[in-house]
Amino acid sequence: MNKFEKAAAAAVGLMLVAGAAIFFYAPTDYLQGPVQRIFYLHVSSAIAAYGCFAVVLVGGIIYLRNDSLVADRFARAGALVGVVFTTVTLVMGMLWAKPIWNTFWTWDARLTSTLVLWIIYAGYLLVRQLAEPGRQAARFAAVVGIFGFIDVPVVHFSVTWWRTQHPGPIVVNDALPAQMLATFFLTLACTLVLAAVFIAIRYRIETLLDERQNVVEPAKVVAGPQPEATP
Amino acid sequence: MNSLRVAVAVARKDLVSEWRTRELVPALAQFIILALLIGNFAFQVDSRNATAIAPGVLWLALVFAGLVAFGRTFTAEREQASFEAMLMTPASPVAIFAGKALAAGAMLVLCEAALLPALSLFFGTPFSVDLVAAVLLATVGMAVLGVLFAAMVARVRARELLLPLLTLPLWIPIIIAGATAVQAAFGLPGSYQEAIGLLIDFDILFVVLTSLAARFVLDE
Repeated sequence: MNKFEKAAAAAVGLMLVAGAAIFFYAPTDYLQGPVQRIFYLHVSSAIAAYGCFAVVLVGGIIYLRNDSLVADRFARAGALVGVVFTTVTLVMGMLWAKPIWNTFWTWDARLTSTLVLWIIYAGYLLVRQLAEPGRQAARFAAVVGIFGFIDVPVVHFSVTWWRTQHPGPIVVNDALPAQMLATFFLTLACTLVLAAVFIAIRYRIETLLDERQNVVEPAKVVAGPQPEATP
Repeated sequence: MNSLRVAVAVARKDLVSEWRTRELVPALAQFIILALLIGNFAFQVDSRNATAIAPGVLWLALVFAGLVAFGRTFTAEREQASFEAMLMTPASPVAIFAGKALAAGAMLVLCEAALLPALSLFFGTPFSVDLVAAVLLATVGMAVLGVLFAAMVARVRARELLLPLLTLPLWIPIIIAGATAVQAAFGLPGSYQEAIGLLIDFDILFVVLTSLAARFVLDE
């Protein structure tokens, strides 16, 4: 078992612990009933997705500044994992909305901006797939990642100004029982670990893909002899 | 070299080339009329619902005409392989980008000169300065974003597929504010002042952002 398999097993174990807390430790919501249990993973995966897209943003900025291949690989990994978590957020949100709002979808600010977020980063992944791998594709993708990150709050703001019905953030609130709060933070921590493990594994895959396609750091090619790898 | 002069020269070159060939603007104007025709049949327009439907038809026609117009911005350069030559000159890439966006925006404005009167004619909506101002302000933001992404996809496979996918989500804030402004100009509920203020904010934001990004996109 290599270190990636160990990390993956640990992350799965943590998610099972979080699942146990969600179903057996957290009390049932008085108003919403068992449906409210969706909230723990829904909000956690939304936060994890934003974290992943922050990795894409920072990776993109670093890549544009100094052509760092490491930053670009992290950006690629972050985008893919972020799209997965955004999908989870959207699907769970819709499952929650059907019994509570009596509709799967409504054009509210948070729903619209999350959908736009998903579309933009799905587009980012398409760019990576359709553009010839190399410097141009990486720069192009970096710009898409940066614009996407900026666009989402702008979309959110414009729809809020227009109309909204999403429940406000009530995570840190005296009214929320301590057990619910503890379950939420446990789920959040486990989800973030899962996201980090995903990114690490995807980073490894991207490195191997780059090696197969002979994409190497441009600086090392012109710098003459390669530095010896430390044993 | 003065950046402003470069931008004007690039824009002039594109507009002169369009004037001589007359291929994009007439085709797009016809496309827009067709979009209005389809809107008319798809919605069963009559005198009572026309004002409610017209803004939607306007934005759909404008957005898709914009995608076609901006998608063709770099076609001539790609076909003649002249873009590298343009970038090799001492002119700054940002100035070249500004010129390209200026010309593409101007061509979309020409199409709007066909769209807005035709909309008033076919849908019986009021034709006002408010309407023109809202559409023109939206064109600024659409043009800078559209041309930036057109420059990027120009060198990618399946560029016709990628351009709408990347540009449309970024246009959404502009479309929301612009649509509200047009609805208000047609007498539907909504604050025209607020919508126009927001549109100006978005224009400033996107002009600044695209100018910053143009250096990385065009510099090869």
